[in-house]
Amino acid sequence: MRFSSCSARLLCFGCLTLLLSAVTSPAQVTTAPKQGIRENDPRLHALTNARIVVAPGKTIEKGTVLIRDGVIVEAGPAVKIPAEARVWDLTGKTVYPGFIDAYSRLGLPETLQPEPVRPDVDYDDPNAKPKEVPRESAKGMHSWNAKVTPERKAADYLNLDKKSMRKLRDLGFTSALVVPGRGIFRGSSALIDLQETDVATMVLVPSVAQHIAFDFNRRDDGGYPTSLMGCIALIRQGFLDASWYQAAQDAYHKNPGTMERPETNASLAALADQTQRKQPMVFEADDELELLRALRISDEFKLKPLLYGNGYEYRVRKALAATKTPIILPLDFPKPPEIERPEQALEYELDELQHWDRAPSNPARLTEAGIPIAFTAEKLEKPEKEFWSRLRLAVRRGLSKDAALAALTTTPAEMFGVADRLGTIAPGRVANLVIANGDLFSSEAKVLTTWVDGYYYDTDSAGERDPRGTWEITSEGKTLPLIVEGELDKLDTKLGGEKATLSTKEDAILLIAPAKLFEKGDGSVRLSGRIAGEAISGSGETPAGTIIRWSAKRTAVYTPKKPDEKPSPLDKPLDFPETYPAGSFGRAMPPEQPHSVLIQGATIWTSGAQGTIQNGDLLVIDGKIAAVGPGLKVPAGGSVIDGKGVHVTPGIVDCHSHTAISKGVNEGSHAVTCEVRIGDVIDATDIDIYRELAGGVTAANILHGSANPIGGQNQVIKFRWGALPEEMKFADAMPGVKFALGENVKQSNWGDKFKTRYPQTRMGVEQLIRDRFRAALEYDAAQKKKDGLPPRRDLQLETLLEILNGKRLIHCHSYRQDEVLMLLRVATEFKIKIGTLQHILEGYKIADEIAKHGAGGSTFADWWAYKWEAFDAIPDNAAMMQSRGVLTSVNSDSADLARRLNTEAGKSMKYAGMSADEALKLVTIYPARQLHIEAKTGSLEPGKEADFVVWSGNPLSNYTYVKQTWIDGRKYFDRAEDMEARKTFAAQREALIQKALPERLKELGAAGGKEGDWKDKKPEDKDAKPTAHPQHRADERGSLYGNGNNRDNCTEEYDD
Amino acid sequence: MTIRLHDDSALPRRIVASFFLLAFLGNSHASDNIPPPPQAKPIVLKGATIHPVSGPDIPSGMIVFDKGKITAIGPNIPTPEGAEVIDASGKHIYPGLISANSVLGLTEIGAARATVDIEESGSINPNVRAATSINPDSELIPVARSNGILTAQAVPEGGILSGQSAVLRMDGWTPDEMTVRSPAAMHLRWPNLTINRNPRAQKSVKDQQKDMDKAQKLIRDSFQTARSYWQARKSGIHGFKSDLRWEALMPVFDGALPLFVHADTVAEIEAALAWAKDAQLKIVLVGGHDAWRMTTQLKESDTPVIIALSTALPSRRDDSYDSSFSDAARLHEAGVRFCIATNGRESGAPHERNLPYEASMASAFGLPKEEALKSVTLYPAQLLGVGDQLGSLEVGKAATLIVTNGDPLDFPTQIEAAYIDGRKIDLTNRQTRLRDKYKEKYRRK
Repeated sequence: MRFSSCSARLLCFGCLTLLLSAVTSPAQVTTAPKQGIRENDPRLHALTNARIVVAPGKTIEKGTVLIRDGVIVEAGPAVKIPAEARVWDLTGKTVYPGFIDAYSRLGLPETLQPEPVRPDVDYDDPNAKPKEVPRESAKGMHSWNAKVTPERKAADYLNLDKKSMRKLRDLGFTSALVVPGRGIFRGSSALIDLQETDVATMVLVPSVAQHIAFDFNRRDDGGYPTSLMGCIALIRQGFLDASWYQAAQDAYHKNPGTMERPETNASLAALADQTQRKQPMVFEADDELELLRALRISDEFKLKPLLYGNGYEYRVRKALAATKTPIILPLDFPKPPEIERPEQALEYELDELQHWDRAPSNPARLTEAGIPIAFTAEKLEKPEKEFWSRLRLAVRRGLSKDAALAALTTTPAEMFGVADRLGTIAPGRVANLVIANGDLFSSEAKVLTTWVDGYYYDTDSAGERDPRGTWEITSEGKTLPLIVEGELDKLDTKLGGEKATLSTKEDAILLIAPAKLFEKGDGSVRLSGRIAGEAISGSGETPAGTIIRWSAKRTAVYTPKKPDEKPSPLDKPLDFPETYPAGSFGRAMPPEQPHSVLIQGATIWTSGAQGTIQNGDLLVIDGKIAAVGPGLKVPAGGSVIDGKGVHVTPGIVDCHSHTAISKGVNEGSHAVTCEVRIGDVIDATDIDIYRELAGGVTAANILHGSANPIGGQNQVIKFRWGALPEEMKFADAMPGVKFALGENVKQSNWGDKFKTRYPQTRMGVEQLIRDRFRAALEYDAAQKKKDGLPPRRDLQLETLLEILNGKRLIHCHSYRQDEVLMLLRVATEFKIKIGTLQHILEGYKIADEIAKHGAGGSTFADWWAYKWEAFDAIPDNAAMMQSRGVLTSVNSDSADLARRLNTEAGKSMKYAGMSADEALKLVTIYPARQLHIEAKTGSLEPGKEADFVVWSGNPLSNYTYVKQTWIDGRKYFDRAEDMEARKTFAAQREALIQKALPERLKELGAAGGKEGDWKDKKPEDKDAKPTAHPQHRADERGSLYGNGNNRDNCTEEYDD
Repeated sequence: MTIRLHDDSALPRRIVASFFLLAFLGNSHASDNIPPPPQAKPIVLKGATIHPVSGPDIPSGMIVFDKGKITAIGPNIPTPEGAEVIDASGKHIYPGLISANSVLGLTEIGAARATVDIEESGSINPNVRAATSINPDSELIPVARSNGILTAQAVPEGGILSGQSAVLRMDGWTPDEMTVRSPAAMHLRWPNLTINRNPRAQKSVKDQQKDMDKAQKLIRDSFQTARSYWQARKSGIHGFKSDLRWEALMPVFDGALPLFVHADTVAEIEAALAWAKDAQLKIVLVGGHDAWRMTTQLKESDTPVIIALSTALPSRRDDSYDSSFSDAARLHEAGVRFCIATNGRESGAPHERNLPYEASMASAFGLPKEEALKSVTLYPAQLLGVGDQLGSLEVGKAATLIVTNGDPLDFPTQIEAAYIDGRKIDLTNRQTRLRDKYKEKYRRK
């Protein structure tokens, strides 16, 4: 028999499979009728002489685990082994509790696997169509929305194949949480034991948790929701509906004759049931801010949340530490960035480079912060190679071995409510164990065997014998020294000083050596034998064909040469301060708020009653404006800024912005979507916040787009760069909602697919708005009704009702005078006052009517002609509305224009002769009034928050730039500091590139040479399935950490 | 259809205006500004501060022009006989501003497809010419010129070889009358070489790379084929079959037609420069977001840059917030020839009037003021091959100038008069007429 060590492995695999089928017959109690002869193997095992890690932090150095019928009977240093037990001598081995994979898709059909992130198209074929993605069609009593399937149970779909189970077990996993992979309410997960048997026996817990993902349709024609905020609104309404459903069913069944029968809905029934039983809800977060969004929702509905993380948790760990919600962590640390070519490196932003460097520390950072974590092998491209290497890297990065073990055992067991059965080695626990040939967390040790429910499964490594060492061979009266060294899969063998070949397969050994050593002529002798402990014996054949006997004895064990103990640079992240947001221009901490600041001798544009003061002073105390005027004194210890030559204005307020929105400016699917909230999706990482600060903007009205007549709720924020979303919200700003009229809402420019949604005309827009207001009034009446079905809370109608009750403003995108007059009429009919008319490019035509109604007008300085309804726009619009008594502002609707709203305001001076003071007010106090925040900001008047801008000169000149921008008496932007920060961040970038370069070259497998060869080795080959990493630029829905250019502005079809 | 709208009474204006709106819905429309007749007699503007741009300012100077050309300029020069003398005391006179990268005349309303003629189908269209589809009655033109933009290059968009541009005066009855130079340049758009690594990107990294390689190969192939065609034509081979595309590239090889290459990133600019060197062609770079990173290469190859949109958002998160604002200053400091232009996209066409503010913004971020002025007058004239006729106030050049009450690059300066080839043009536009119409509405109240 000739074999190489490579084919040995293959053969071995074959044997093992055979072996497995022999032991898989279940002896557990089943309801299935027995066929044939019963197999009742005794199931008492004693795993003895092992090092037993019974739980994180608790180890028995030498002991025994006794298992009976799949349950641990006893574990300890001195367990009495019954005579009938099968004894497993595990000398030198380590036993761990079985590991739990906290998140898996094992055994689920394609329709429950995540959808491919990119359509599969052959672009070389011009006629090719994307490959159809199989989807499960909704049948029966389901939710109206295809993405709401809480009733789905992973356990009902399981169809497990041995190969994938084996792959997981080979990593040491004995249980896995199987999670359905599509939709928003995805359904409930099942906890299974990885025993090779029937599904019914495998399932430990059929319904562990409901899984909720921030999933949405990424195409406008994909159906509701098409945005993250739509998704969150749907989740919120889902929980409300579930509790209503329960109440409605109860009421109806109590008294069926007296009320209309409510719908029967499996989705709501399932969700209601799970909420009532306080089952955990696992929120699947794609990025760091979605973690926080999940916690907000959980808090709102008093859920028991768990998080499925994404690797970026460390960035927001302070916020996560507040609730200590357990997080399931994949270990998909990023690959080394492709920075070998300088021009290519330019396309990596600092935050990506930092993340590559810091991601392996994520588990350690979270554990330090007291946040429970559980690991999963999910999201790894090659778990067999990556799982343990990454877990060990995480350990080298500071995660304690106990914490790592807990993340595989006790933590997931607690999260999934099975701590009494899984996670530790103790009497009464399920007999799920991992046997390894060493410490899995700190060495290159391997998993040899897993035990699941008292059945054992060997890995490929189980049968491996280590033949290394020094042996003494005796054959034909000769004694020769045999030295075996090297790696197990690449042995280096010398017999009697001559090179020989040695291979093993389990306990079979083959030695091929020059025949002359044994004085048997030329050629080789082939010696085969069996290895048993420290001895080998067997027989062989000489070149002449004679059979010879041989034996060997190990005289010295192999001591591997200590590899260089030089710590790898990967074991530590570079020592740069962490900022929020990560990457360039992030802040390590909020800017300090000096007790008092005095700006002395500047030109101060108050936008208030004091007008513009030459050579004036501005005094700020504790973040508030204390006084404005000449000759002010600073309190002791306060700082003084010389204002000579500079101009100071109130912070600019942008009344129409789409900056800082995550994943979708529009919920453009339905015609009415006022249940969606921009406040749910504020993106604090948007670099445009910083850029606009550098243009003097301190507050902005973040608006939903204009894809529908009644759009989403807006959020007024202050540009507190470096803060988290909730900290940016403008306290007590009047809530509002975006309305829109005209071309966008009637889908004029959306293409041929969009010709059926109501409304398609301006006539229809009026009817739709009237109808919804009526609906809101009737909703109000129904809520107050005492009899019949309990009233259902409808967040959409509630929002409209708030408008009708004067508690919420309408900000209405509008162009043509006829549609504006319509809106004013409808508003009057419902006794409401429109907050602002946005764009309102024909406002100059009907300024008196607008003024009479009392609506504000927020317009562009000079934009026009980008679409038909903008063809009559004139740059005198703002001035003409203002002069007829309309409260008017000039807005940006664009992250670019927002950076120069001062000069946008200046255009009213040029085109309409407006005074400088009035022009500035178009971007300060007037928009503040429109947003009802004028008591706090918008002008430099005592008592207001100290939001102001220091300019290099006249703020209405194009030659002027911003020197400083202050919010709440804190300096959020300083051009001089910015100049320094550029250098610091650039240096950090270069340091990271230098660190990544060796790793990248390793990956390329190149020490130079032809680059064509590199290309083939690039990881993104066609077979590699793209995994959805959340934080890349140019997501069509604008994800986190964008470059600021991925949002549309006013010239786009419907985002204005 | 010709509509006269220079009637002072409000009523007929309104009637005509509404008639006009109706007419607009059909397939023809016209701005109401009437081109003035050719300059009939010499004109003298005196008393103003003259900013020749090519030389020092002349306080309280005089400028004389006749038959459309500047004949004299100076502090005190004789008044020609029969000249119309206009007192411009306290005013400022500048050359007309030049927009070096626009689609003026090729588009009206972006969202109304019927009004847009900027991009031919296919990627190799060197033969299409902007000059053939300029609409002299576009309402966008009077709006641009009322802020001092008196000359503009209209550039076809799209594909790889987008076509031939034309330098236009912002006045004339027909496209021919408007044309200063056509073709002005051949426009090559370097394919985007930035890989979108977002897994949700429409195409995989590999497919994107393939597209890029394909597109760059197409550039090389096209020019090599065109060069063979050019040589074959020159040598007069018998039985030669014509090809409009390669025919159109012949003047490029002759050196008669400049080649403008639109490219933005380091990778694109590097590739374009390397290709141009290999193809032995001199190029003008348009766009050039990253040009400031490559001033050495640009200077070495004497490649000038038309900075397209100095107010754009930075293209990368790591870029400094003022990276576009300061592009011009950085090129200037490095000694790279440049001019400032708008982005040339369809969406920018109605806003060409903001060109002067791009220049002053560049000045706020380091470009000397006089350079800012040159960057929208003399420099674009030079880069567009009309430096001998336009861009500065010099004897022999066209009398294309503006009279202002201050710095045209800043607010609230008004353009009080404008001359194109000595003809005083009407500075009203659709917007001023709408303003006047509705002012009348409120006046009556």
